[in-house]
Amino acid sequence: MKFINPTTCPWKHAIGEDGPKPDPDPAPHRLLTLEQWRAVRAHWPQDVPVAIEFPNDADIHQLAPDLHRIALVVLDFPKWTDGRAYSQAHLLRIRHKYTGAIRATGQVLVDMMQLLARTGFDEVVLRGDQSQAVAQKALELFAPVGFYQGDVSETRPWFLRSAA
Amino acid sequence: MYHYTEFDRRFVRARAAQYRDQLERHLRGELSTDDFRALRLQNGWYVQRHAPMLRVAIPYGELSSRQLRQLARIAREYDVVSDGPFAGHGGYGHFTTRQNLQFNWIPLDKSADVMDLLAEVDMHGIQTSGNCIRNITSDAFAGIAPDEIVDPRPYCEILRQWSTLHPEFAHLPRKFKIAISGAAEDRAAIGWHDVGLQLKKNAAGEVGFQVFVGGGMGRTPIPGVEINAFVPWQQILVYLEAIVRVYNLAGRRDNLYKARIKILVKAEGQKFFDDVNEEFARILADDPAGHEQIIPQAELDRVAASFVDPAGAAPAADAVLDTADTAFARWLSRNVHGHRVSGYRAVTLSLKRVGIPPGDTSADVMDTAAALADQFSHGELRVTHRQNLVLPWVKTSDLPALFQAARAAGFATANAGLLTDQIACPGGDYCALANARSLPLAAEIAERYQDADELEDLGEIDLHISGCINSCGHHHSGHIGVLGVDKDGAEWYQLTLGGSDGSTLSGATAPGKVIGPSFAADEIADAIDAVLETFKRERQAGERFIDAVKRLGLDSFKTAANAVRVSTARAQA
Repeated sequence: MKFINPTTCPWKHAIGEDGPKPDPDPAPHRLLTLEQWRAVRAHWPQDVPVAIEFPNDADIHQLAPDLHRIALVVLDFPKWTDGRAYSQAHLLRIRHKYTGAIRATGQVLVDMMQLLARTGFDEVVLRGDQSQAVAQKALELFAPVGFYQGDVSETRPWFLRSAA
Repeated sequence: MYHYTEFDRRFVRARAAQYRDQLERHLRGELSTDDFRALRLQNGWYVQRHAPMLRVAIPYGELSSRQLRQLARIAREYDVVSDGPFAGHGGYGHFTTRQNLQFNWIPLDKSADVMDLLAEVDMHGIQTSGNCIRNITSDAFAGIAPDEIVDPRPYCEILRQWSTLHPEFAHLPRKFKIAISGAAEDRAAIGWHDVGLQLKKNAAGEVGFQVFVGGGMGRTPIPGVEINAFVPWQQILVYLEAIVRVYNLAGRRDNLYKARIKILVKAEGQKFFDDVNEEFARILADDPAGHEQIIPQAELDRVAASFVDPAGAAPAADAVLDTADTAFARWLSRNVHGHRVSGYRAVTLSLKRVGIPPGDTSADVMDTAAALADQFSHGELRVTHRQNLVLPWVKTSDLPALFQAARAAGFATANAGLLTDQIACPGGDYCALANARSLPLAAEIAERYQDADELEDLGEIDLHISGCINSCGHHHSGHIGVLGVDKDGAEWYQLTLGGSDGSTLSGATAPGKVIGPSFAADEIADAIDAVLETFKRERQAGERFIDAVKRLGLDSFKTAANAVRVSTARAQA
């Protein structure tokens, strides 16, 4: 899991004087909202990877045709108990075989680490009051044991692993 | 019973350690009360009116005497109030309608110690609360019922494992309850669950599940509807994944009262069915991991091997019993149930006793029940939807001795299925959500209807009492349902008639109908009396209460109940 500091992160929003630019010019390391991406995707150069901020109430399947040029999908947790982004990440990884980065933002708590890792997130922006050290520890908690179900990194449920 | 593997044990211990870490961070002030809430809930810890409440899962209702003794120990040593206004309270557990046990008085700072004690006997509070897949419930007679088509327990256990700490489905829009029945008779009220699963065999003799979705009580009681007539058992985890994923993504999160899957199913209708069935097809067709969720025969066999008949329990001829004692005869006919294995019976240990709230069980009573299980039932017990215990493996020749022992211990009230075998939530005495108390009414009914002949004469009646619209006392499904409501700070009670849990006796799953405005606290027991008197007057020979309500409609009951509104009249004068 990569812990991201948004101020030093190379991916930057395309923001004008009045908020997000409606039609940003292509450039490397652009972090676009879904709305911006919809506006530019038709003419965006194929060889300039983008990052997309994807809301948790939109249909993630709509990204499928573009995934090959998306380097990073940023999924949102407006509340830490709003679990929609787990399904979105799972679908990106398992259904669409997406291999770029998936980042969690919003109300990201250390106690979510395992759920995030297991559904396909590999980057997080922790909420300001959260400790990276505790998050690292939380990731290790079940490591010696494992889980019953499969997940994105170990797709086999325990019943297949134990029988292997 | 399911035998924990080393993996299962290490897993539950890891969960207990994780909870201890979260609790300690909370107590140190590093984890706020708000953020800690969802974490403690998913381990069964509520904060209630007077103290925290712990809900322990008894998966699909199976309990060993060893586990029950550990629960008794927890009640005795941890469920204790030593000072303050409630000093002396505690020392007991409350069996719920969903095959859980609740402790009401354990201090939060002891909660991690209790989780360790539970883990010692392969128990936990995982997902007994919170907006996740809850403890999976089943028929209390699973594996022993004469009308069983397929033993649901191995499937229950496989589903328990699948749903436990499922990473994608840990924070759903709302709680998610699954019940499984494997018998001809539905004793698990599957129509009232978010997902109800009915095991079936098709014409070729293959096993599968009829799947119902969108049932639930609460503010908007809706019976589940069939979404799939037959999902082969091997694919059930995939099918559930499809249902829960569609719900996770599309269920409403803007309004707590519209967040259950029933609201989504009702709003979207066929579109919901289509979305689920398409998702199911896509998992199987497109997901590399999809086929790995198909349950192999070897896994079913491995789990099923835990659910064999106890050693030494072999078919035998039924003993000839002397039924000259009418109390014994009545107990045999009410609390003793048929068994798949000849020479055996299942026996209800009634937890409905005068002076004790339904389902409440002291540490000593738990120990006594554990001893009876050891002596008469191969150390095995079941927890029922109706808040009783069952001994599932009693030899017919042991029935007289068990009757004497059960009577001495207060378990032999011969009322299974009758009026006083009522269901009640803990209500306003304990629960922070309740609008009114449930237990005083339950106590009054138990007090008024002690005459065994009168109870028998009234016949089978499901009386269900909830202290608020969350419906933990299942008032919607009661032939007589009582709902506590708050009016200007006073306790009032709404009366419904004709609800059904989906059993053959009660008819298709349906919520009861309200008869008139609410009754005052000192009227509601009289109103129930009036309803029962009306039934006695107007019934046909041999007619059961629920059938009479269906035949007669509500009017005559309503008129009789209205006549008791003395307090209401005074309040309006």
